[in-house]
Amino acid sequence: MKFHEMLQRRLLFAAAACFCTLVALPTVFAQEKGADDKKEDEKKDADKKDGDAKKKEEDKWFAVTHADLYTGTGARFRDATVLAKNGKIEKIGVEVDLPEGTTVLDAGGLVVYPGLVAYSSNGLFGAASSDFADSVNTFSPNLVMALGNGITTTGQSGAALKLKRGEIDGVLMKDKATTLLNFSAQNPQGRRSLLDKFAATSQYLRDYRAWEEKKKNDKDLKEPAKKDSDATILQILKGEILARFQSDDRDELLGIARLAQKYGFRPVIEGCREGWTIAEELGRAGAYAVVTPRDRVDKSEELVAAGGTSIENAAILRAHGVQIAIVPSGKSVDLGGIAGRDILALTVEAGFGVRGGLTNDAALEAITIVPARLLGVDHRVGSLEVGKDCDLIVCDGDIMHYETFVQQAVVDGKVVYEKNKELFYAHIRPRNDSALAPETRVDKGQEQPEKTAAAAESKDDAKKDEKKSDKPDKKEEKKD
Amino acid sequence: MLKRLLIAALALTTTTAHAQTGEAPKAGERGAPGLAIRTAKALTAKWEGECVIDHALVLVKDGKIQAIGPVSTLAVPEGFEVVDVGDMWLMPGMVDLHSHVGGTFDINDMVYVTQPELKVHASVIPHNPMFKRAIASGVTSVLYIPGSGVNSGGQGILIKTGLDNYEDAVIRDPGSLKVAQWGNPERWTVGVGKSWENYHLRDMFQRGKNYAEAWDKYEKGEGTQPEKRIELEVFRDLYGHRTQVSTHTQVYQVVLETLTMIRQEFGIDVYIDHGEVKGYLTAPLAEKLGVNAILGPRNVDMPRLFGMDTDGQWQGIAAEYQKRGMKKIGFNTDSPVIPQEELQLQVGIAGRYGFDMSNTEGVKGLTIVPAMTAGIADRVGSLEPKKDADIVVISGDPGDPRTHVSMVFINGKRVYDTEVDKRRW
Repeated sequence: MKFHEMLQRRLLFAAAACFCTLVALPTVFAQEKGADDKKEDEKKDADKKDGDAKKKEEDKWFAVTHADLYTGTGARFRDATVLAKNGKIEKIGVEVDLPEGTTVLDAGGLVVYPGLVAYSSNGLFGAASSDFADSVNTFSPNLVMALGNGITTTGQSGAALKLKRGEIDGVLMKDKATTLLNFSAQNPQGRRSLLDKFAATSQYLRDYRAWEEKKKNDKDLKEPAKKDSDATILQILKGEILARFQSDDRDELLGIARLAQKYGFRPVIEGCREGWTIAEELGRAGAYAVVTPRDRVDKSEELVAAGGTSIENAAILRAHGVQIAIVPSGKSVDLGGIAGRDILALTVEAGFGVRGGLTNDAALEAITIVPARLLGVDHRVGSLEVGKDCDLIVCDGDIMHYETFVQQAVVDGKVVYEKNKELFYAHIRPRNDSALAPETRVDKGQEQPEKTAAAAESKDDAKKDEKKSDKPDKKEEKKD
Repeated sequence: MLKRLLIAALALTTTTAHAQTGEAPKAGERGAPGLAIRTAKALTAKWEGECVIDHALVLVKDGKIQAIGPVSTLAVPEGFEVVDVGDMWLMPGMVDLHSHVGGTFDINDMVYVTQPELKVHASVIPHNPMFKRAIASGVTSVLYIPGSGVNSGGQGILIKTGLDNYEDAVIRDPGSLKVAQWGNPERWTVGVGKSWENYHLRDMFQRGKNYAEAWDKYEKGEGTQPEKRIELEVFRDLYGHRTQVSTHTQVYQVVLETLTMIRQEFGIDVYIDHGEVKGYLTAPLAEKLGVNAILGPRNVDMPRLFGMDTDGQWQGIAAEYQKRGMKKIGFNTDSPVIPQEELQLQVGIAGRYGFDMSNTEGVKGLTIVPAMTAGIADRVGSLEPKKDADIVVISGDPGDPRTHVSMVFINGKRVYDTEVDKRRW
């Protein structure tokens, strides 16, 4: 059973359960009908007030404070706060009032980044096969290790999944954002047929749009026939889905670039090994490249032109406007004979991108916002912005540095991983004794001054005073 | 056919002639004017004492380091060409003691369980394409060794990566006698286990010891001249302390055999090579016996790996050796299992999982430790006077994958320069 089908069934069941409750409710009320009408009204009012209060209580506030904050949008804050309400980012800033009851993660002296996005992985949700819905395990140690290495979202079999520890709801973020096309030079017939489909579909789309215009005046005009047009390619041309290719060779890449330029779509190219040799064409096509900077293949001896891998591939492509996502060569959590190449080495691989000339920021984008875009979930994850999911990681330094460890991982405004509480890495450079170790507490909130006219006039002054008087209190809280 | 051969022969002669006459040697090379390299920071990897010099100057003459020190204390001699590398750092060329990319891959003959007479030097291709990429990551010397398909695959060779001629490139032959303990040789014919493998190793060492002793006696004027047996010749080098045994040894049980059999029982210079898994449990004994540990390429144990008990932790191999008192810890790749150019990543992995590198132990593990371990520290492994001018110009911490190499000198010869060459790595 597909995951979304499973969800649908579950929803149906939930809806059915709700319906039953609704049916049952009148019977409950019926018993009270004999009571005084006035009393009943009062009771209703009281219920309403209680309900409102409950609603407020149900809002879950979460904040990371005093962070050295890297939002992923180019902005960096010092001593910053990220405030989330029910898992969504409500505010980002340096002076943010925290509502009463906010769970506060004090990240003083630590660096906060958006959770990393692995473009593609295997086995984080247990020994999941390609159809992960049958075997999804959100208690899997692999998932915890991935969180411990900063990954909070991953692609798997084309779907975008959130690393929600111990929960199933909300794991599936998007079913499918891309569709794989075969444009292999090894398969000239398939290539020819794909070209034909593009031509036919593009013609159909043009005819259809012309028909839509003309129809305004001539209602009886016949809708153009679909003929040889292809439903998937139609989606691509309409920008509803991204066309994905797996290609490394210069000639193929050039073909894809030209195809994309001709029909006006942005190709996602996995591999893109020789992309650096035709970066300009790929840039003009608005391509996305999913690369492994450490990839190494010598150029074919038959090839006269430049070819093979280049450590500078990612940097050259990006300089020509190609958006870069970075993946390690291994997709699972696995060190069989080799370390530093599996999915946990996402930042290591990005580091090799920097080695080849990418900036640190561009390398971080390549493991956050760009893969989020390719998975169709960049409106929710990949950077820290108001309205997006509160998925972030608290690190003891530059996330790209090999000694840096994720101290805490937060998904949907909930701490789901704490280094010092898991066996995996707790013994390595523990921060328990450090004054800078992150701590979680529940904040009592700041007392709001009474809204009298006088208070309103001196509002700014009051705020300042408040902060002054607040600070010692906060320190005391910490000691507790 | 004959004509084609003739042309080929002619071409060969021309090439050789060209290589021999070549261009005039450049500053720093043998027989040329001196070279002075100025840098913001030199990681000298000197084993004892201060090993970082800020604002350093290195003087190179005739392929050797003439002097190194702070710019303030050292003057550039007249006639020296000056290269200022700005804020790039200098470090010694890296040394990898477990490499298989020195030439062709026919280096894993599995005829006998122990075949100490086989010499890998027959397969060497100097300055081959894999070496070229290795140079671009700062690896200047490697121990090119036979595979681990049998308990002793033969003799390795210590060779420099960036020199065109075999005679120039070779540092020492035999570079080591390769021994592989349990973990790989089970592939041999019927499939064998630890007891059988250890029996055969012990048998080989005993024969070797008898042979070396017989020759030793004869050379001292006692006894008759022994019959020359090429399969045991290497033991004369081993007992003369001119080479070592490099042991591919991993799990606790057989690392213990490396120490107790090869070092204690037979008194041979030996080191732990390709160190992985739980061999670190032997660290206190190894340190006592002066057996160094060269670790990698899987420099970390993850929980559940091979069912090994890690108490649910990720354990850095280097960190565990260090924690138990091992002083000389180096790194290797087992290239091409890990590509030769990724040697430096081993340091990053060690550092990540708890290896304390507060006194540049990472840099030393790539340079002076393997050099001392292989007994070639008189020539390579640190930036010190009289040593070979194998110098790497690097953008920072070699353990960080973001760091890149921009220039490499071997024997004072500039073998890689990103200003001139295409960026190779």
